[in-house]
Amino acid sequence: MTTGIQFKAVHHTYRPPRGKPVLALDGVSLEVKDREFMALLGPSGCGKSTLLYLLGGFLPVENGEISVDGKKVHGPGTDRGIVFQHFALFPWKTVRENVLYGLEKQHVAKPERVRRAQAMIELVHLNGFEDSYPSQLSGGMKQRVAIARTLAVEPEILLMDEPFGALDAQTRALMHEELLAIMRRAPKTVVFVTHDVREAVYLADRVAVMSARPGRIKEIVDTKLPGGVNPEVQQSPEFAQKVEHLWQLVRDEAIKAQAQAEHG
Amino acid sequence: MILRFLIRIFPLVLLAGLWEIAPRLGWVNPEVLPPASAVASAWYGLLMSGDLVTNGVSSLINLSAGLALGIFVGMAAGVLMAWYPAVDALVSPLMKSLYPMPKSALIPVMILWFGLGAGSKIASIFMGCLLPVVLSSYNGARGVEQTLIWSALGLGASRRRVLWEVVVPGALPEIMAGIRNALAISFILLVSSEFLVGQRGLGYLISFLGDGGVYDAMFAAVLTVAAIGFFADRVYLFFMQRTLRWRE
Amino acid sequence: MSERSGRAGEYGLMALRVFSIAAVLGAWQITAMAHVFSDFLLPSLSEVLLRLYHDLVSGDLIRGIELTLIRTFIGFAMAAAGGVVIGVAIARIPVARWFFDPLVSVGLPMPKVAFLPIFMLWFGVFDVSKVLMIAFSAIFPVIVESWAGTQNIDKYMSWSALSLGVGPRRFLWEIALPAALPQVFTGLQVALPISLIVAIICEMQMGGQGLGGSIMTDMRFADSPGVFSGIVAIALVGMVMVKAMELVRRRLLIWHQETQAE
Repeated sequence: MTTGIQFKAVHHTYRPPRGKPVLALDGVSLEVKDREFMALLGPSGCGKSTLLYLLGGFLPVENGEISVDGKKVHGPGTDRGIVFQHFALFPWKTVRENVLYGLEKQHVAKPERVRRAQAMIELVHLNGFEDSYPSQLSGGMKQRVAIARTLAVEPEILLMDEPFGALDAQTRALMHEELLAIMRRAPKTVVFVTHDVREAVYLADRVAVMSARPGRIKEIVDTKLPGGVNPEVQQSPEFAQKVEHLWQLVRDEAIKAQAQAEHG
Repeated sequence: MILRFLIRIFPLVLLAGLWEIAPRLGWVNPEVLPPASAVASAWYGLLMSGDLVTNGVSSLINLSAGLALGIFVGMAAGVLMAWYPAVDALVSPLMKSLYPMPKSALIPVMILWFGLGAGSKIASIFMGCLLPVVLSSYNGARGVEQTLIWSALGLGASRRRVLWEVVVPGALPEIMAGIRNALAISFILLVSSEFLVGQRGLGYLISFLGDGGVYDAMFAAVLTVAAIGFFADRVYLFFMQRTLRWRE
Repeated sequence: MSERSGRAGEYGLMALRVFSIAAVLGAWQITAMAHVFSDFLLPSLSEVLLRLYHDLVSGDLIRGIELTLIRTFIGFAMAAAGGVVIGVAIARIPVARWFFDPLVSVGLPMPKVAFLPIFMLWFGVFDVSKVLMIAFSAIFPVIVESWAGTQNIDKYMSWSALSLGVGPRRFLWEIALPAALPQVFTGLQVALPISLIVAIICEMQMGGQGLGGSIMTDMRFADSPGVFSGIVAIALVGMVMVKAMELVRRRLLIWHQETQAE
C-alpha cells in the first residue's frame, strides 16, 4: 500500500478564547513520500505541532488541503497513529490494557488481540511490566508504552510530537535506537516534530525547516547519511556538516521566535 | 460585557419568572409557594417594621464574633503547630481525630454551657470555624518553602521575625482559603443554632414566621439569609483576591 | 519545618500522639473528678462511657446510629447520583452549562440549611424533608467536582483515544468518566461529611430519634451525660465514615499517582 502525504497551502489561525486571533501557519506546502521519515524542525511557536495536529485530524483544516494517499483528511483515524511528548497514556489502565485498547476498537478477536498486544510489548522491551500502571513507570517506559499502543493498530503513518522531549538525555539516546530498530522491522511513513537539530539529522531522511510564527516551510534538507543510521555516524564529519547547515537555517528563526515571545 | 452577564444569569431570571407565574396560575399551591411578588412585598414589610434589621444585626454580630475568634485562635494555633514541633506533636493528633466530627453536634453542649442566648451561638460558630482555620494555617505554614526560610535565617533574622515576616505571608493564600471555608461553616452553624433556641436572629425570625403561618414573610427571611451568605462569600472572595494579588 | 529523622523519630512521634490523646482524656477525667466544673457542665469521662455502654446494651444507640445513617446515606446517594449526572452534563452539553452554571454559583456559598423551614413546609416533618435537605446540601460539591473532573481531562489523551478508533458515544464511558473519577470521588468525599452534618442538624430541629434527635432530647432534660455520650457517638460515626471513604478511594484509585506516592 502506498501512502504519500500532501500539504497544499495550509493556513491555520489560532483563536484563543480571550484575545486576538493569531496566524499560526501561513501557506504550508509539503510532500512526504511513502515510507519516508520526515522531521519538522523549527523554533517554539512556529506551528510545527499544529501542522501535525492538522494532519492527525485533531484540528479542522479551514484553509488549504491535507491529503493522505489522495484522500482528504477529515478527522482522526487509525491510519495516522500519534505519540505525544507527555505520553497521554490512560492512567487507569495497565500497560497491557493500554496497548490492547486500539485493538479492541478494531474488533479483533480476543486471542489475536492478546497475542498482538504481547508482541508489541515485547517489541518495546517492556516484558514483565504488562500489569503495571503508568504511574509506576519511568518516563522512558511510559513513552515506550505509548509507542506500543500506537503501533498495535498498525497505522500506515506515525505522527510523533516531540516524543522524547520529556526524557533525559541518556534515555533519549536509547529511545532513538529503539525507534530506529522498530522502523527497520516495520517501516512506516513518519512525521516527527522536534526542535532538536541533532535528533532531526540523526533520525530523519529529510528535514523540513520551518520559519518562526507564522509558520512556513523555509527549506527542506536531505539528511540521509552515508553508512546508514547507527550511533557512530554522529561522530562523522558529514553529520556535523548537516547539523551546522540546519542550525544556520534555524538560528535566525529561533532569534525571531524569542523576540516574539518577549513582545507577545 | 453587560450582555454577557445578562445571558449568564438568564436561567435565574427564568426561574424567577416561573416562581411568579406558577402559584398565580394554580400550578402549585400558593399557600405553600407564595408568588415572588408577594414574597418581595413581605420582605419590604419586614424591612420597614424593623424586624429584619434588628434580627439581622443580631445574627451578624454573633457570626462575626464567633468567626473572628475562630480565625484568631485558629491562625495562632495552626502557625504555632507548624513552627514548633513539640506543639505539633501534642496538638495535631487531637485536631486530626476531631476533624471528621460534625460540629453541629456540639450545639447542644454549647447550649448547656452558655445558655440560650448569644453565648451558645458564638461558641458554636467558634467551634465550627476553628478546625478549618487551624488546618489551613498549619498546611499553609508548613508549605512555605524551606529555602525561603533558610535564606531569611541566613540573613540574620531571628526565628520570631522569620515567623512573622516570611512564614505568615507565605502561608496567607492557604489561610485565606481556609477562612473562606470557615465563613460558609459559620453561616450554617449560625442558622442552625438560631433555629433551635433563642429569641433573636434571622434563624429565629424564620422559625417564628413559620410557626405563625406567615409564609410569604418566612420565604422573604429565608432568602435574605441565603443572600447574605452568598454576598458574604463574594465580598470575601474579592477581598481575598486583592490581598493575594502580589502572589501573581 | 519539623523534620523526622529515622525510625527512632517515627516511634517517638507515634508515642507522642498516643500520649497526647491519652493526656486529654486523662485531663478530662481528672478535671471532672476534681469538680472543677459542676457535674452538669462536665460529666466525668467514666460517666459518659458508662452511659454509652448502657445505650449500646439497651439497643438505643444502635437504633439511633441506624436511623441517622440511613437518612445520611439515602440523601448522599441522591446527591451523588444527581450531582455526577449534572456535573458531567454541564461539562459536555453547552445548554446544560448555561442553565446550571448560575444556579451552582449562587447555590454553592449559600447556607442551604436556611431552607429547612421551607422544606418542612413542603415535605412535612418526617424523613422525606430530612433526606431532601441532605441531598440538596450535599449535591453542590459533587456537581462542582464532577464538572471540573470531566472538563479538565487531558486533551492529548483524548486525541490519542480518538486516533485509536473510539467513537463519540463510547468516548464518554470509556475515556471521559474514568479520567474524571479521581476528582468525582473527591467531590463524594466532601459530600459525605456534609450529609452527616446536615442529617444531625435536621434531626436536632425535627426530632424523630436518631443521634441528632436524642441529643436534643437529652439537652432539654438537662441530661448532660446523655449529651456528651451523644457527641462521642456522633464523633465516632464521623470518623469511621471518613476513614471508610479513604479506604475505598485507595482501592478504587489504586492506579492514581497520588495513591502510588504513598
